[in-house]
Amino acid sequence: MTKNATFERPQTGQSASLELTHALTQTVYREARMLDDENYVGWVKMLADDLLYHMPGIETRYRRDKTDQVNDLTRMAYYNDNLEEIKKRLSRLETGTAWSEDPATRYTHIITNVEVEMTEKEGEYQVFSNFYAYRNRNEREEDSLIGNRVDIWREAGAAFQLVKRRIILKHNVLLSKNLNIFL
Amino acid sequence: MRIERMGREPEFSQYMDLKEGWLDRRIFSDAEIYEEELYRIFARSWLFVAHESQLPKAGDFLTTHMGEDGVIVARQPDGSIKVFLNSCPHRGNKVCFADAGNTRRFVCNYHGWAFDTGGELKGMHEEYCYDEIDIDRKKNGLKQVARVAGYKGLVFATFAEDGPSLDAWLGDFRWYLDMLLDNEDGGTELIGGCIKSVINANWKFGVENFIGDAYHAGWTHDSGCRSMNNGEPFPPVDMENSYHASVNGHGWEFGTEGVGDLFLLGRPKVMEYYERIRPKMAQRLGEMRSQIFGSVASASIFPNVSFLPGISTFRQWQPKGPMEFELKTWVIVNKSMPDDIKDEITKGVMQTFGPGGTFEMDDGENWSNCTTVNRGVVTRHERLHYRCGISRQIEHDTLPGIVYRGQYNDANQRGFYQRWLDMMEADKLDAMPERPEPRLTGVSETRDVPGLFAL
Repeated sequence: MTKNATFERPQTGQSASLELTHALTQTVYREARMLDDENYVGWVKMLADDLLYHMPGIETRYRRDKTDQVNDLTRMAYYNDNLEEIKKRLSRLETGTAWSEDPATRYTHIITNVEVEMTEKEGEYQVFSNFYAYRNRNEREEDSLIGNRVDIWREAGAAFQLVKRRIILKHNVLLSKNLNIFL
Repeated sequence: MRIERMGREPEFSQYMDLKEGWLDRRIFSDAEIYEEELYRIFARSWLFVAHESQLPKAGDFLTTHMGEDGVIVARQPDGSIKVFLNSCPHRGNKVCFADAGNTRRFVCNYHGWAFDTGGELKGMHEEYCYDEIDIDRKKNGLKQVARVAGYKGLVFATFAEDGPSLDAWLGDFRWYLDMLLDNEDGGTELIGGCIKSVINANWKFGVENFIGDAYHAGWTHDSGCRSMNNGEPFPPVDMENSYHASVNGHGWEFGTEGVGDLFLLGRPKVMEYYERIRPKMAQRLGEMRSQIFGSVASASIFPNVSFLPGISTFRQWQPKGPMEFELKTWVIVNKSMPDDIKDEITKGVMQTFGPGGTFEMDDGENWSNCTTVNRGVVTRHERLHYRCGISRQIEHDTLPGIVYRGQYNDANQRGFYQRWLDMMEADKLDAMPERPEPRLTGVSETRDVPGLFAL
């Protein structure tokens, strides 16, 4: 495993039970459905109060380069948000003047390669997944965003809440004019 | 190096009448005009290539583009900075594939030609195959740009051997730049990393938006402003006490209310920080500049760098064909700021002017549609309106440049396209007119000039 891969995917722990794995897999699918449907009210309910939602900007560097571009939260990022900051971003859609969101973008999130593991904290689980997010808008504008995620989900009553998400987009140059999407 | 362009030389003045206030739409999509821009503007201008803080140690390097030509910018053992083509003199392959890093050598993957961080050829794979007569190592290094120079942390390079020095190129605009680059002891630095995105639009749309288009903000960005500030709309514009200032194609539009851009960042701690240092800023830069800083403002350095003083996004519009540019964005902060203020600013910039930012998202959509729509074979022959504020030019005893009253104005945009036209038509850079006549010729440190000039 290369150094970079270690940054992106922390050491793995013990696999969760079939039941937990099923429950959390369904959870990330449900979350994807909410994002596809722009059901942000429902989505925010799935986010924990102490959320860290992080998608670092990653430069192309040589393998020998030891710069930690993933864990260093002081570097440039697409997202480096807590829950309040996510809500601020979402409030733009409530203003009625987010012109570029009308007509709406058509979204599909495909979530795959889900693995669920135990963590050292009881009731918190690490979930690996890959995403393929497709956007299409207006006549023929389209783009694809592909990458991996590492999440921490916490049991909250009968459901789970997202505590931490690290998104690694595989682009160097974002091949899109904006990022009006959550991954 | 001499940059020569063979073939016909179109009359570029046919594409605009800036006294009347119109532009021809073809300059935003025509492939031949774009090629000419690469030769006449990008191969002859002083272009931003790095901030000194990106290259703190010997061997630190980054790769970037001057126009569409790839270059390496590298810190030398003696502390100087060199800029050379990222292209092996043997077959032309790239010698560096990383965005940034630290190295002792740039080695070509093709035949193993190896260059030191100054670009000098140091060795080749199976060197014995070359007889002495075959190669002069001194003449086969990586091609250096003609000139490299800095202004308060920003590093610029140009392919043009002749033409103005960087100080003369920036001219009286330095007086404005000091508000961004020299408002506190220690100068500025860029936060680590660079976010790059592709926008299917002509590069000039980005530059002209930041050089003077305060007008779009209250409409395009109503949603962005409200989202960052608990539903509050843009503060009203004071047309009496806000200005456009244009110097040789550079431009800064600004209010004098002192807080507008800081408000848009949506970070109260940052606002408090600047209020704390404002008295010192006034001592340092004079009362006028300390009141301009932090106001609703935006600026561009000709031809392709822009920033928002107060919001702290710093960006470059890199041309990638007539209908595409790559937007590179950084966050610029004062070195002496405490870490928590740097973090607040960085997060604020990412939430407003990153690709997912509440302001940025609406811009790319506009520029991309302007570009593609302007291309229609009928549409392209219709003129575009650039006449806003055309009669509002004033003489101001404090502010250098061509100054217009009222922040809602197309004046700086007209100044930008005037410089564009001057460069497109000039055979020799030295023959280009100064617009306006500089007031600060011979002044080497504009920080100490409070802004009282004899007219």
